[in-house]
Amino acid sequence: MITDRLNRIWILSKKNVSLYIKRGPVLIFGLMFPFFMTLSWVIGRNITIHHVFIGIVSMTSFFTATAISPVVLPIETREKSLERILVSPISLHEILLGIVIASTLYSLIITSIITIIFILMFSIVFTSIATIILMFLGICLMAILGSLLGLLAAANPTDRTSDVMLIINLIKFPLLFISGIFVPLQNLPSNLLFLSFFSPITFLADLLRFCVDGSNFFTYQVDIFMLIIWIVVMFIVGYMLHKRTMPKRLAETGKTKKKMMMMKKNIEASRVL
Amino acid sequence: MTFQNKLTNDIDHELYLGKKSIAIKVSNLYKRFEDLTAVNDVSFEIFEGEIVGILGPNGAGKTTTIRLLTGIFKLEGKASIEIFNEGITTNLSKYKINFGIVPEVSNAFSDFTVWQNLKFSGGIYGFPKEKIEKRSKKLLEQFGLLDKMHSKTKTLSKGLKQRLNFCLALLHEPSILILDEPTSGLDPISVKLMRNRILQLKKEGKTILITTHDMQEAQTICDRILIMNRGKIIADESPDTLRKRFKSTSTILFKIDGVLSNDHKNTLMDTFNTIKEVNDYYAFSSNDVIRDISMLYNFSKENNLTISDFKVKETSLEEVFIHLIQKDSISMGVK
Repeated sequence: MITDRLNRIWILSKKNVSLYIKRGPVLIFGLMFPFFMTLSWVIGRNITIHHVFIGIVSMTSFFTATAISPVVLPIETREKSLERILVSPISLHEILLGIVIASTLYSLIITSIITIIFILMFSIVFTSIATIILMFLGICLMAILGSLLGLLAAANPTDRTSDVMLIINLIKFPLLFISGIFVPLQNLPSNLLFLSFFSPITFLADLLRFCVDGSNFFTYQVDIFMLIIWIVVMFIVGYMLHKRTMPKRLAETGKTKKKMMMMKKNIEASRVL
Repeated sequence: MTFQNKLTNDIDHELYLGKKSIAIKVSNLYKRFEDLTAVNDVSFEIFEGEIVGILGPNGAGKTTTIRLLTGIFKLEGKASIEIFNEGITTNLSKYKINFGIVPEVSNAFSDFTVWQNLKFSGGIYGFPKEKIEKRSKKLLEQFGLLDKMHSKTKTLSKGLKQRLNFCLALLHEPSILILDEPTSGLDPISVKLMRNRILQLKKEGKTILITTHDMQEAQTICDRILIMNRGKIIADESPDTLRKRFKSTSTILFKIDGVLSNDHKNTLMDTFNTIKEVNDYYAFSSNDVIRDISMLYNFSKENNLTISDFKVKETSLEEVFIHLIQKDSISMGVK
């Protein structure tokens, strides 16, 4: 029974990766955006290589993780394939996990490649193997967290990706700017420092600082604990929202909405008769 | 007169009751979207191996009924559904395996090939790759899609996409098929292929629920018809019974060689008072076709007239459908 479930989740994940990896919003918001954002941040500024490394890894991880998960449900609602999935023996949490795993894998692969290239190119030195493991643990947690954040935005029962991308960008950028990537937490004024606690990227950037140069603000245990707390909260809130909005997604989008209008007209016409 | 659950007047279905087990038992289905009641206290039974058509105007609640039936929408209030005597709430995944669904518009993944779509579906139902391949090839051959196996779904025509929908719905060998306007917008060859396949599937023992706007289709392939309007079932009978019950008259058309005199016309008017000239034909309504044909024969013999052409037009299901919908709408207006 559990193996059947895992098998279904894996099939859904494979489907999501192969179908959505080349979609426009995924390429634009997952790859091009962090690349150009990093360029505009780094060029012409006197920033240490460690600081650049922390920024690039955090942004790549966060942006790639929030690329696939918001687009799957709106596209599948529009193309009616979501209904096909829902009539097969798949539960809602299997569908959601399939999206999260696909998005997490995409983020992990891209971020790992960028991280390894950067380490090799700029000879980033780690104090121990444990810090390397901690760094990848942080990247993994951020990949899951970002995927869940994207999924949360996709709870809006729409069949237009632009609607969801608008929401996710409205959430993503403030979280990024208050995270301590651009300005280290130690240098933030106290009110901004307080706000930065509400961004999960703060804890990834801080964990990476611990791994790279030991200039962390919190302890690494706190960083990992906070990332896990964010994941749990996101998963619970996301699941509950999707459970609530899924019937609406099927009932009120596209043709069904037109049908509902027609239904009302039909009743009105009957009354006239 | 209520038509809800009314099978007792229909001899065919008394026979069904005796011989077949109930495949689908639906009671008190109800679904509301904000200020609109889409399905209102719908109950019906479908017997194993039966083809039941749901007819209704746009927005009558047909698709919502199907979505409730297939577990997409949660049941509300007193509603209950039993599939082969098993309730929907006990095990939703196991419940869903009973159904194969063919939608009106393709819901296959458009960027996947035909084979990738089948492989995905088979995988979801837990089939090993060899079984998926064997079964897929068989279905693709039956539906004339084998040469399109590696074509992207988005490159297929509407007819071919619909054939793929049938293959996807049948891949896991479901006992119940739900067809949502399966031949809508298809060319005549594809329509014929689909109808033949539906009848073949009935022979194989599948229980089939079909929604359609095509009265000809409903009349040809359905054993029983449910007519829905404003979220309620307003009729539940076999196509023949429906036609007889609600529009018992047929139309007799005939053509006479030569020109009829005024006397002949008057006699005809006296005998068949609804007679009128339609193009080169005379047409009149008949409640008793045999009696009226015999009277027409006697009339032609007595007056030395030759009937060169002769037709009996049965009341169509479409006329019954329009009659019932109008009647229901008027009754609602009265309320």
